[in-house]
Amino acid sequence: MLTPALAAFLQEGVGVHIGTCNARLEPSGARALAVRVDADGVHLDVFLAEVAAARLAADFTASGRAAVSFGRPVDDRACQIKGDVVSMRPAEASERDRIRAQFESFLDNLERIGIPRAGAANWVRWPAVAVRVKATSIFEQTPGPAAGTPMP
Amino acid sequence: MSANVTLESLATCFQGLLPAQLFTCSKDGVPNAAYLSHVDYVDASHVALSFQFFNKSRRNIAENPNALVIVLDPDTGQGWQLRLRYEHSETEGPLFDRMALRIEAIASYCGLKGIFKLRAADVYSVLAIDATPEERGVIPDPQSARTAEPHAVFTMKAMQDLAERIHGADSLESLVDSILAGLDESFGFKHSMILVPTDEPGVLVTIGSRGYAENGAGAEVRFGEGIGGMVAEARKPIRISGLMRGMLYALAMHREAGQDGVPPRLRIPVPGLANPESQLGVPLLVRGDLAGVLCLESEVPYRFHEDDKASIELLGGYLAIAIENMQLHERMADAQRSSSASTAASDSIASGGVPLHTASASACARARREVVYHASDECIMVDGEYLIRSLPARILWRLLMTNNDCGRGEFTNRELRLDKSLNLPEYKDNLESRLLLLRRRLEQKCPEIRLVPRARGRFALELGCEVVLSTRG
Repeated sequence: MLTPALAAFLQEGVGVHIGTCNARLEPSGARALAVRVDADGVHLDVFLAEVAAARLAADFTASGRAAVSFGRPVDDRACQIKGDVVSMRPAEASERDRIRAQFESFLDNLERIGIPRAGAANWVRWPAVAVRVKATSIFEQTPGPAAGTPMP
Repeated sequence: MSANVTLESLATCFQGLLPAQLFTCSKDGVPNAAYLSHVDYVDASHVALSFQFFNKSRRNIAENPNALVIVLDPDTGQGWQLRLRYEHSETEGPLFDRMALRIEAIASYCGLKGIFKLRAADVYSVLAIDATPEERGVIPDPQSARTAEPHAVFTMKAMQDLAERIHGADSLESLVDSILAGLDESFGFKHSMILVPTDEPGVLVTIGSRGYAENGAGAEVRFGEGIGGMVAEARKPIRISGLMRGMLYALAMHREAGQDGVPPRLRIPVPGLANPESQLGVPLLVRGDLAGVLCLESEVPYRFHEDDKASIELLGGYLAIAIENMQLHERMADAQRSSSASTAASDSIASGGVPLHTASASACARARREVVYHASDECIMVDGEYLIRSLPARILWRLLMTNNDCGRGEFTNRELRLDKSLNLPEYKDNLESRLLLLRRRLEQKCPEIRLVPRARGRFALELGCEVVLSTRG
């Protein structure tokens, strides 16, 4: 489902957000720090700060669904993956470097369009939680009339 | 809402400097996450989101009005989540116009005007505001806050300074310079320009600028083109923050839309910063007539605050009247001089002429300039390079030809007004502003040919090199 090229884009250090909703159909969402795409091209771990995961945990459990958006600031290339929440677990110490590297790369990206990284100096990056998502559909989301169309 | 947080206090979050994120879900409980270009503040309990495309977010809202938006404070980096409920859509009125104008202005700046249309301004009530703990903001350091670029404040002192400068101006040229210098030195707006309508409908021309490497005099923009042209067309002030982000968004849409044809233009043909982040354009209106447009820009992403827009709009009315009055005053003074002028005086002007080839050439001046008037285009080229067109071109050609034929070097505004061949409009000819931009254009492109003020309504044509005249077409 996720081609190697798309997986590379998702993991290069772009802006990531994850959303879900509760039984009253009220959406919830938060910024994520990084992702790791499995070799099967179907599963991915979305890492978010523990304080953010705490806000969304009940909704992940209630709905069992997640929407993950990816956007690259320098050219607004964007896509969205929808899928089922498979599990949630604390991120392991061995995953910390991956999270840090991807997030720093995202901040580099922001700096390239004139947004100083100093604004994100206090953003919480650790401890983190990995939300495992099984992708069921992928959508183009680069701004424009094609936004929202399924990607092959 | 959170006890201590009001929507007004989050004003900086609604400038489009940083992308916002919109979360919705369908009636079947399928969530959706999407980036948003802009969240617009409506009032103390409402925001508006732009509706440009029938995307999934919009379809979700149609069946489930609950939404969540996360915005970021560009000053501190603090994230805020706004729990929203869709109320209604507006397809006309002040809110719609404001949002549409912003989209159009950014698109126009990229050379993509007319491609992206706002379908509606979707208005949401804000049910709750909460800080997102993971996007924890930086508390500004009081020391750095003190040393940061001062925010221009429309204090009485600054207004008095500007008023004094304006009252001290004795010509349109000194008035324009005084206004721009005052905006810089009294208010801190370092990059500015004034454009006025030309005799060609729907076209503005730059008559003065400050803070740029080139003065840009004579640079034209059409109504609807760039921020100046958009302001002229809409006759409303436009303020854009986070211009680079907006442009990137517009360009991304352009690529996605598969638009062909002329590639997007990233530079405006008038003076401009290489990487502007904030722009503010204000129409200069006198009794509903457009006297000009004042444009300010900055490399600081959030330079012009909402208060600035309101204050400078007020100031714009004052500046418009000052410019209009100066032109009227110069014209009336012209008429009075004409009615009392004796033949002898006219003769003395004629005999005091500067021959075409006299020269007090400056060290860097060229020895020879070839000036060609292209009659069909009404434009003047100097040494093969475009100088100016339309009325200022006709005026310069008339001056050069008179000097060439009669040896006369001094001229009056009055005689230009009476010269039917120049085809000046009967009403509001704006001759002074045309002479001003001609003078500035010459200073920039051909400094050997100078128009030097001698007295009110009188000036000399001075030539610092050999000038060869010819006509084509």
